[in-house]
Amino acid sequence: MIFRPNASSGVPIYLQLMEQVKHAIETGALRPGDQLPGIRPLAEELVINPNTVAKAYRELEHDGVIELRHGAGAFVSGAAREKKLTERLRAGQTIVAAAVDKLRARGVTEAEIRRLFEAELARLTAGGSRG
Amino acid sequence: MLWHKSWLETRARFLVGLALAICAALSVVMLYTRVGELLQLAPPPDTGGVLGRKIREAVVLAQDYRGYVWSQWFAHQLTQMWTLFALLLGSGGLRSQSSRGGALFTLSLPVSRGRMVGVRAAVALAELAVLALVPSLVLVALSPAIGQSYSIADAVVHALCVAVGGSVLFSLTFALSTLWADLWRPLLIALLVVVVLSLAQTVFPELSRFSVFGVMSAEGYFQGDGLPWLGLSASAAVSAALLWGAARNIARQDF
Amino acid sequence: MADAHVIETGDLRKHYDGVEALRGLTLAVPAGSIYGFLGRTGAGKTTTIKVLLGMARPTSGRATVFGLPVESPQSSVEIRRRTGFVGDDKGLYDAMTVRGMIRYTASFYPQWSRELEERYLRRFELPAERGIKDLSRGMRTKLALLLALCRNADLLVLDEPTTGLDPAATEDVLQALVGHAADRGCTVFFSSHQLAEVDQIADRIAIVDRGRSVLAGALDDVRAAYRRIELVFDRDAPDARFTAPGVVRVRRKGRVLSVLSSAGAERIVDEARALGPVSVDVAPVALKDIFLETVATED
Repeated sequence: MIFRPNASSGVPIYLQLMEQVKHAIETGALRPGDQLPGIRPLAEELVINPNTVAKAYRELEHDGVIELRHGAGAFVSGAAREKKLTERLRAGQTIVAAAVDKLRARGVTEAEIRRLFEAELARLTAGGSRG
Repeated sequence: MLWHKSWLETRARFLVGLALAICAALSVVMLYTRVGELLQLAPPPDTGGVLGRKIREAVVLAQDYRGYVWSQWFAHQLTQMWTLFALLLGSGGLRSQSSRGGALFTLSLPVSRGRMVGVRAAVALAELAVLALVPSLVLVALSPAIGQSYSIADAVVHALCVAVGGSVLFSLTFALSTLWADLWRPLLIALLVVVVLSLAQTVFPELSRFSVFGVMSAEGYFQGDGLPWLGLSASAAVSAALLWGAARNIARQDF
Repeated sequence: MADAHVIETGDLRKHYDGVEALRGLTLAVPAGSIYGFLGRTGAGKTTTIKVLLGMARPTSGRATVFGLPVESPQSSVEIRRRTGFVGDDKGLYDAMTVRGMIRYTASFYPQWSRELEERYLRRFELPAERGIKDLSRGMRTKLALLLALCRNADLLVLDEPTTGLDPAATEDVLQALVGHAADRGCTVFFSSHQLAEVDQIADRIAIVDRGRSVLAGALDDVRAAYRRIELVFDRDAPDARFTAPGVVRVRRKGRVLSVLSSAGAERIVDEARALGPVSVDVAPVALKDIFLETVATED
């Protein structure tokens, strides 16, 4: 895990950890069957309370995202749902990469690209949709 | 290992003091040859009063090596140096250390305060005993070099009288150091007591037997009486009472 | 279960030369927790620690560690045998070397672990033969921590362990604490000003102000309970009085009304909607703000 929990953000650390694990699964960094770091080594590496890690793992197990095998550790569950998420996001990444390349080829700056995407999303949520 | 720490803290003072005391003992021995010559030159003075009496006593004593050693070394130099060492070793301690962090560490150890105080006092008393005995034994060992001899038994007895009698002064300083956090106040007060006692001894020589310095110099033993058991036990008792008071102070102290 | 609490105090009071350092402090530290003890300077944190470890005697009230009363000298020795302490001045003996200090301390603890000693010496990169007076502040702290950790204590008491340390040293210290606590299941009780580190490693906290505990509980619960409710009006914000409990502070500035609540945010939001704001925003509160609001002077 290469992330630093932000203790002062107001979001409980265990939730941040859960989000990180889910994100890692969605992007494919963690695959079904992969073993997660042990509670104690992870707590020490992230310098957070071991109970916090334990709580995050418990909640993830409750949500079906991981399995806690007694004595063996925590493993990413092999649900097919996760595979679909991974594939969908991978496809999405390819599309976004292509679009960004095209825009930059036309001289659109990164800040403008970001604003274009946000404006389009905001327009979608405000109502009306495109096919 | 409390004793080890006390030793480390007092080691420098102790070794310097020991070196000085041994040098003083050596000089007492070496000077004896001169004394004999000086006595031939100076006739007994006719000055009256306290000073005259003292000079005549000194002259009489110096005729004989044993008397010389007693009056110069045990009753004077050793008593004075030793008193100074007793005061120096009696000050310091937990309270004066509390501004220097090490005290809280000591207090966090699984050791009762009684033991902390007891070990510190015991180490200091042992060092003081050595400070009285070793230079005196050096004197004994070196006397043959000038063709004299001094009895080991006498040296040991006198050294012990200095140490036991004088332990009262150590315990007084030690007890005072548990009352205040600064290093100087207990030292100055103890010094004041020493000065008052010495003055009293000069002004009221009849009481000298009962004073601390009287016990330390053990004049009675020198003159052939037995060991001054009464004086020694009284000193030991007063010392013990003062140390017990010091332990109680430390036990109740907030740090 | 009384013995699930490693440290317990009840209405603890302490006078020092006319200063009332503790005015009825009540605490309960569960076994195995990492307990952050917060407060401003002079709030009574160091005094509490001194009382718990027998360095100062309580004026009145109750305090026990491992179920043993702190005022009894024999119990206090037993308490200290099972406790590792790091004072805020990281007091050590300047006259000794690092190795000397370790051997000296080890002699008092039969359960001392040579293995841990070697491991932490290497990990903290402490020069074994150097004199303690020549150590930097960070190294002194690490040595003091090593001395506390190697004795296999059931309880670690630290007074502001990372104050004055650079970020790298702070991280080393916290990491060693977390690792050790996870390994051995010991309880960690530490006082601190550094809210970020408390946020990171504590699972329970207490805030002490002027000698009393003003907030105590599981850190996650505290974070979940505190909310800042911001109401924007299309006119000057009204001078609102909330009847719902849990309102800590209400601030008005122009068209914005800001409410800090310690519990029951939903009820407060309901009451707030009745005032007719243009927008209502409910956000979590950082520990720093919880702390500042809780210890702010009332008058």
